[in-house]
Amino acid sequence: MDEDTSGANDVPTHDRVVELLNNASLMTNDKQKVNELKQVQELIIHKDPALLDNFLDEMLGFQNDRSVEVKRAVIGFMEEACKHDPEILAKVVANLPVLLQDENVNIQKRVILAVGSLYKEALRWIVNTKKVTDTMEATWKYMEKLTKNLLEMLDSENDGIRTHCVKFLESYLLTLTERTLDSEIPKKQEKDITLDQIPKKEHKLLKREDLEKKGTKAIELLLDFLGSPHISSINLMTCMTTLTSFVKQRPQFMPKAIQAFEVLHVNLPPTLAKSQVSSVRKHLKTQMLTLLKHIGSYNYQTQITTLLTDLGATQSEVMKAMPKIDSSRKRKL
Amino acid sequence: MPDDLYIAVVCSSNQNRSMEAHNFLNKKGYRVRSFGSGSHVKLPGSAADKPNIYDFNTTYDEMYRDLISKNPELYTQNGILHMLDRNRRIKPHPERFQGCKEKFDVIITCEERVYDQVIEDFDSREKGTEKAVHVLNINITDNHEDATIGAFMICDLVAMLQDTEDLDDEIDEQLQEFEHKCGRELLHIVQFY
Repeated sequence: MDEDTSGANDVPTHDRVVELLNNASLMTNDKQKVNELKQVQELIIHKDPALLDNFLDEMLGFQNDRSVEVKRAVIGFMEEACKHDPEILAKVVANLPVLLQDENVNIQKRVILAVGSLYKEALRWIVNTKKVTDTMEATWKYMEKLTKNLLEMLDSENDGIRTHCVKFLESYLLTLTERTLDSEIPKKQEKDITLDQIPKKEHKLLKREDLEKKGTKAIELLLDFLGSPHISSINLMTCMTTLTSFVKQRPQFMPKAIQAFEVLHVNLPPTLAKSQVSSVRKHLKTQMLTLLKHIGSYNYQTQITTLLTDLGATQSEVMKAMPKIDSSRKRKL
Repeated sequence: MPDDLYIAVVCSSNQNRSMEAHNFLNKKGYRVRSFGSGSHVKLPGSAADKPNIYDFNTTYDEMYRDLISKNPELYTQNGILHMLDRNRRIKPHPERFQGCKEKFDVIITCEERVYDQVIEDFDSREKGTEKAVHVLNINITDNHEDATIGAFMICDLVAMLQDTEDLDDEIDEQLQEFEHKCGRELLHIVQFY
């Protein structure tokens, strides 16, 4: 953050935030307004978090702005703020269903993507607490209702909404399944909460078994959507990416994924145009090469290489993707 | 689409195809940036196996002066100097796609290999959940004439996409209509920032 603008170094952070918020409320240029709000976000979340509570309502107030970009920025702020202080979820969660009903689909999509991370924060908040409060209980209920809504929106009439719901599903699935030794976790997701961190013992709000069931059901939902005959090429490819990214992190579901890809390969949706078939086949090849690289697919290499050959992969492409595994590891697999 | 789409056009060296399209789109008032996806900037040299190779930080102006000092007749005759002169009026130097942190709405690549490199770059980035972006490929041969035809097509395509009320919902149909109209096949996928 550039501290040198307008002599920010000499002004106390509190006053600077007031100034930025005042500026933002008077501005008519959306870009400038977003810029001011982003600066406020940086100051009250990272520079001086003690101020977050003070200015929370002012920031949240901007969700009623007429500009799509400003609203999107506020949703981004909600995500960041809740990561920093999960208690804020209680204040934010009631706003989400309203934003999800916004007349602009781009706002709806931004909410859909935000819910994935907010759900994780809610879960972490509740798991880490010693005493479950009424606020917590109410917040969790809201979150559960919201996630249920999003899963239903996989059937939305709007193709873009469906794409975004698939992306939400990826995050939701990762939260509600267990990591294993072979999980390849992207750095950014290392600290995320996952099913294995939910205590098995009795908990007032959370039952690990129920969460696990929800996860399993969501996997079926993804596989069903991937196999649906009238899926658009874009949603089909988003489902494929999601499935690959999920099984890289949850290799215990590798057999299911490979089977789904095999079925898809011989059963592409009849509605796809010729060029869409090319895009989908190309993407399928990339997915199979990615899976082949993963140690969890070791026992399925024959299936994968057959599929890859059918998709036009060269011998050298396949060989390059084969993982190098020492013999002691092989015996264990 | 109520807001202006933010467009990226990507070819290999950010010299010919992407710059021609950048120029066209710019003149029509679209929000556009252009990039190369290769590891270096390559320009034709005195023979097919002797290309001029630069890094992405070399300015178009430096390349222009370098080539004029090497062989002004050759590089005037094959149009390279003319192209570099055009480019330096648009921006200082070529830019590499993989080094850009900005978030676009649509990325148009000019060759399948470039499309692959762009997707590969998304795969290697830490995936966010902030925004979707459409990546499209339209094959354009890397010569002056085809770059001009390609730029016209890209302009048509962008105009169609900009005209949509809801890009994500309508893009499938728009692309099919575009393919039908210009007899080209596109590759298309959605990635997330």
